[in-house]
Amino acid sequence: MECSFALTGKDYVIVAADTTAARSIVKMKGDEDKIKTLGPHLLMAYSGEPGDTVQFAEYVERNIRLYQIRNLYPLRPASAASWIRRSLADSLRSRSPYSVNLLLGGYDTAAQTPSLYWIDYLGTIATVPFACHGYGSYFALSLLDRYHNPEGSLEEGLETLKRCIDEVAKRLVVSPGKYKVKVVDKDGIREIEL
Amino acid sequence: MASASVYNPVGFDFSNQVRNQFLQEKGLPLPKATSTGTTIVGCLFKDGIVLGADTRATEGPIVADKNCEKIHYITDSIRCCGAGTAADTEFTTALISSNMELHALSTGRKPRVVTAMTMLKQMLFRYQGHVGAALVLGGVDATGPHLFTIHPHGSTDKLPYVTMGSGSLAAMAVFESAWKPNMTREEALDLVRDAIFAGIFNDLGSGSNVDACVITASHTEMLRNFVKPNERVEKEQRYKFRRGTTAWKKESIKDLIVSEEITPIGGQVEAMDVS
Amino acid sequence: MSIMEYNGGSVIAMVGKGCVAIGSDLRLGNQALTVATNFEKVFPVTDRIYLGMSGLATDVVTLREQFRFRVNMYTIKEERDIEPEAFAHLVSSTLYERRFGPYFIEPVMAGLWKTQKGEHKPYIAAADLIGCLNFAKDFVVAGTASEKLFGVAEGLWEPDLEPEDLFETISQTLLNGVDRDAFSGWGAIIHVITPDKVITRTLKGRMD
Repeated sequence: MECSFALTGKDYVIVAADTTAARSIVKMKGDEDKIKTLGPHLLMAYSGEPGDTVQFAEYVERNIRLYQIRNLYPLRPASAASWIRRSLADSLRSRSPYSVNLLLGGYDTAAQTPSLYWIDYLGTIATVPFACHGYGSYFALSLLDRYHNPEGSLEEGLETLKRCIDEVAKRLVVSPGKYKVKVVDKDGIREIEL
Repeated sequence: MASASVYNPVGFDFSNQVRNQFLQEKGLPLPKATSTGTTIVGCLFKDGIVLGADTRATEGPIVADKNCEKIHYITDSIRCCGAGTAADTEFTTALISSNMELHALSTGRKPRVVTAMTMLKQMLFRYQGHVGAALVLGGVDATGPHLFTIHPHGSTDKLPYVTMGSGSLAAMAVFESAWKPNMTREEALDLVRDAIFAGIFNDLGSGSNVDACVITASHTEMLRNFVKPNERVEKEQRYKFRRGTTAWKKESIKDLIVSEEITPIGGQVEAMDVS
Repeated sequence: MSIMEYNGGSVIAMVGKGCVAIGSDLRLGNQALTVATNFEKVFPVTDRIYLGMSGLATDVVTLREQFRFRVNMYTIKEERDIEPEAFAHLVSSTLYERRFGPYFIEPVMAGLWKTQKGEHKPYIAAADLIGCLNFAKDFVVAGTASEKLFGVAEGLWEPDLEPEDLFETISQTLLNGVDRDAFSGWGAIIHVITPDKVITRTLKGRMD
């Protein structure tokens, strides 16, 4: 089952997503990257209906890129989140809506603040210190409630993330094996090996 | 994809329909719109029409409004009582009232009750009962006093005394036992009051106060809260909390008073040379 | 589970002496799972009008954006701020326009309107999901805890409360109301609107 996590800390956001691509009961792929880089300081983890996810993520990716090309500066996280939410809310009113759930992590270079948005397929948006999608959320949210420190260092943040991943691996019946972890901070985006 | 536009087309907007159907298929039942249990009545008397209504608005088993207005203005000498889906009665009567005013302006005559009745029934029939308005329409025009009931599907009746809403049976019982032709204004008003009382006290969907409206050829009198049989007594004790009872974490105060302070800069300002 | 209960949340508004108060809980849920505990449901419309919305969270955000747009258009056209009564009808007709495909929200409005003499009079209103307005002289409620809030408010509200007393009454009503609702709570926020200032306080509430 798909799981994605994200949490903020002192001047950074960590976004993690599992790497399995499954169709029905078959695992088709074990190294799928489900975290899109939308800009120099913006990450988006996506999950949901297979097919919709990639289609929608690429649609968002290209539109955000188009904005940057046209205006020579990228959309700030809050504006990007608002635009993405609106796309989903409008899509929900169409004949074939996208079933995609998102975690949007970004670093606002102007305000020098990290920000994280939880968005679901209905177009619901919430600004949160930490967030999850998928069955993992039933385990991870309580751990994050207990261990999350909004002022924590990157090491501390990764430690907390590891707790979540380990807990899900231990207790969820069909837990994913591998995760891709990305961090966004003032220096940009980088991938981290857990 | 929908986008913000300064132009809005008239009429209902169905663009959420697809989405809501999708949500319903996901297993989330759609909520029912607020429906009001009501007692509304009307009766003919010597000089015109008396309309009556209770003032309770309900949302399922909850009393949402204890003193709402159910007698709606159509024209100066035509009024309409509404029962059924609250929003529908409110908006249909407002729309027809507006169209009646335009009609009066274009014909240069005082509009007739049948005109309002026809407009209402044609609109309700067009929506095949989906606009859930059950109405009692009454008024006086050049052809005399008229009283109609209009059902949500668009059928109408013309009768000397009528009742509608969930309390219609209780109210009709009162009319059947005591109505007679050529009543005086006082007799008619008392009868209407008793009919609404029957609804208020016997029907759970109706309650609170009695609104009435007396329409004659020369004058229309709206008697808002004509009788208040369920006045709430003043509380015997105060239930005020001591200040500081509620614990709060954060406070921000936005000052709405714009204060300006003028600080002259650049030293002495010399008077302009106007010579 | 109806769509109106999908995300949970409740809103309340009350009238005081020359002032009004409006508040909401802070929970955003996904059915029984709490996703966020900082989700405000009350938004400023003008300096002296606030709008609260309970119901489906996606529609809360969509309509907040739409009302901001429409109020801005009104302000530009009329060259003045919108009055509470006009705003209530703007909300009502926006919702009734979607009579046959509604937005799943119940709005609650609170504001002060200026009389000819220049004094500020309180105004509150609520509507159902298709825009049937309810102008009350005392209090209005909406959301998953509305049944409880009706009861508590009926008992606690009294006329002519000063801003500080109104704050206590609305806060206690909201906190005690949502404590008996599984889908509302996780903190609360209250705005008290007076003629010369707006006091916003985040309340300490139960986190369960």
